[in-house]
Amino acid sequence: MMQRLAPLVVLALAAAIAPATAQEAYPNRPITMVVPFPPGGVADLTARPVAAAMEKVLKNPVGVVNKQGAAGAVGMQSVAVAKPDGYTLLLALSSISIIPEADKLFNRPPAFTVDQFAPIALISADPTILVVPADKPWKTAKDFIDDARKRPGQISYSSSGIYGTLHMAMELLSQAAGIKLRHVPHAGAGPALTAILGGHVDALASGPAVVLPHIKAGKLRALAGWGDQRIAALPDVPTFKELGYPEAEFYIWAGVFAPKATPEPVLARLRATVREAVNDPEFKAAMDKLETPVTFKQGDEFQRFFEADARRLAEGVRRVGRVETR
Amino acid sequence: MLEVAQNLGLGFSVALSPAVLFYAFIGCVIGTLVGVLPGVGPLAGISLLLPATFGMDATRAIVMLAGIYYGAMYGGSTTSILMRIPGEAASVMTCIDGYAMARKGRAGAALAIAAVGSYVAGTASVVGLMVMAPPLAQWALRFGPPEQLALLLLGLLVLAYMSSGSMLKALAMAALGLLLGTVGIDQMTGYMRHAYGVVELGDGLGVVPVAVGLFGVAEILATAGAPTPPAVIRPRLSELLPSRQEWRDSAWPIGRGSVLGFLIGILPGSAHIIASFVSYAVEKRLSRRPQDFGHGAVAGVAGPESANNAATSGAFVPMLALGVPSGPIPAVMLAALMVHGVAPGPLLIHNQPALFWGFIASMYVGNVMLLILNLPLVGLFVNILRVPYPYLYPAILVFSILGVYAVNASVVDVWIMLVMGVLGYVLRKLDFETAPIVLGVVLAPLIELSLRQSLAMSDGRYSIFLEHRIAAALLAFGLALVLLNLYTFVRRGLDWRARLALAGKGDSS
Repeated sequence: MMQRLAPLVVLALAAAIAPATAQEAYPNRPITMVVPFPPGGVADLTARPVAAAMEKVLKNPVGVVNKQGAAGAVGMQSVAVAKPDGYTLLLALSSISIIPEADKLFNRPPAFTVDQFAPIALISADPTILVVPADKPWKTAKDFIDDARKRPGQISYSSSGIYGTLHMAMELLSQAAGIKLRHVPHAGAGPALTAILGGHVDALASGPAVVLPHIKAGKLRALAGWGDQRIAALPDVPTFKELGYPEAEFYIWAGVFAPKATPEPVLARLRATVREAVNDPEFKAAMDKLETPVTFKQGDEFQRFFEADARRLAEGVRRVGRVETR
Repeated sequence: MLEVAQNLGLGFSVALSPAVLFYAFIGCVIGTLVGVLPGVGPLAGISLLLPATFGMDATRAIVMLAGIYYGAMYGGSTTSILMRIPGEAASVMTCIDGYAMARKGRAGAALAIAAVGSYVAGTASVVGLMVMAPPLAQWALRFGPPEQLALLLLGLLVLAYMSSGSMLKALAMAALGLLLGTVGIDQMTGYMRHAYGVVELGDGLGVVPVAVGLFGVAEILATAGAPTPPAVIRPRLSELLPSRQEWRDSAWPIGRGSVLGFLIGILPGSAHIIASFVSYAVEKRLSRRPQDFGHGAVAGVAGPESANNAATSGAFVPMLALGVPSGPIPAVMLAALMVHGVAPGPLLIHNQPALFWGFIASMYVGNVMLLILNLPLVGLFVNILRVPYPYLYPAILVFSILGVYAVNASVVDVWIMLVMGVLGYVLRKLDFETAPIVLGVVLAPLIELSLRQSLAMSDGRYSIFLEHRIAAALLAFGLALVLLNLYTFVRRGLDWRARLALAGKGDSS
């Protein structure tokens, strides 16, 4: 066993002491894809098929490492300061744009900034949808918004946590529609869903895959979506854009990033790899099972999407401001 | 009833198929190992193995992951009893009386009772899961933040019964634990508290590094610092089995622990660790010889060990019946289902009968496997005690550090464990008990979050706790407990000075 491993060890050592040649032959050793969230979450479930498909293209192992903590800040920070050699990648969600803004809000040194990363590709962008318990009187988004106007601060919603993705989605809607809702933060998307199913809150913005079974079972009602287009699984549910609130646009997206200073040839190789990987039939099958449609964007297109999204979210965080105790 | 029997028949036909049987066995073995290794708990084990299940079919995957989960509860007691190191967080309470039993040469008995208690609780709670899952899940959902707060406050009262020494010292330790529990991002406002720029502290102090530090590392330091090394206990084969008296003393605690653990496990947000704490307190309260607790009371092993096992089945209730996670471990298992295109939700039992009933049946089978696996291991594990301390303890320290590091790949966690180890050592020297600290660290974030969520729901009105009937009833019950204790206190001991002096010496409560 040791003897068979020996050449591998030598190779690994050679790669470690000869970075100049390593760059030419990228990649020649295992690549790590950091997921800053716990196993089983959206990011993790997206990262694993992506990594498996990239592995086939790169002919080198791509390992997924969960480095969770502080709502993703720990893992994102670790990639921001990682060696920019293309061997450490990040699979991040929308929250990558939110965390630095929240840090700014509290005048604390940011864990990382958005410009420490080079975007490689967008993998998926799932619009959130607005759901309410089926026994509530609101049949349409208009009913909901009209009622919220009449009773400011009376309708409550759960979220995955303050400044979390599900909070920001609701906040963007509140700002676009000029309504005020009551925010009840929870410790993650799972508890937020439990809260609405138990009838402890009146509404929730959620990724579609998680709430679809409950909509089908007649426990929850979908009122509208935050996307650019309607969701394939829910063709009758309008978007807020159709309803006249174009500012209420929000996606839980997942994208691949590298540290900023990664050399351009390596970035080009990675972009080409991900482009090939998303067309892999196994990857497509895996994403189908998760009921998460693939939305592939890269280059300028991803950059524009990323910047527009970051701008909306930064504005959202600033408008929420600090929660001051009364 | 006939329908249940038919469904169970379907379930066993799935569970006893060779492939499913094989994965259940693998899950149980890995679970036992994960439980035995200090630091690594079921969450870490399941997380690490989740990717390996992506290639299997959904039933096999979920059966194996569940095996790891309840298998860990069997394994967790081993190091707690033999070395006072919690194998996983929910075995903290077992450290106290289990280790005391081991020092008296009853390690084999403690291990056997823990295994049998786990088996009884595991099997009984699967019956509960099978017969009552849908109505129980609906009931559990009604536990929102106000109800949860009331329950947690009731849990705090438990503290009063946890200490075998001075009440004052126990409360001081609980307060320290509650303070340590406030470290991290404030869930309601996003402020970082007591993090001093260390991003890793954003999630607060984990239960695992705190528990392994306070118990395991502190124990190792204390032994190393002792003037004479503790005598190596050589267990004799005849002493491996519990005596008739020990069986009699554990029968009721096992029964009560099973029911308590199952009910607490169902509630969203509460962990098995709370189930074992509550069970310990209940047993001490009901015991005719409460003074034995802390000095090797067999009920202090039987109750909590049964409770943490029953809580795992309880946690499956909302997960299977409604598709909502009651904690991080069911959340990972739900993800495992989603990866296979099985949508977890209220229709799961209806749409996937083979999966649901196969899963239930596999838990009956798995618990039998674990009992067969663990009882002979008792004889093997007690031999660890034969290893001389200079070899044993450094090895345990290495395993603890590896285990704690492996959970999050975080060096900060290792530092937390080491700092807690030193703190635990100092506190032991000063004759403080450390279990209340662990309880405080567990409860503080939950209590704070549920209180503030309740107030967010009611727009700041405290009357919400009276409007919610379950919460009001629980609070009234807690108040009655306090008043009852006050009453006996006032009636019994008018000379409080003498009592305080006694308490200071640590031989009264």
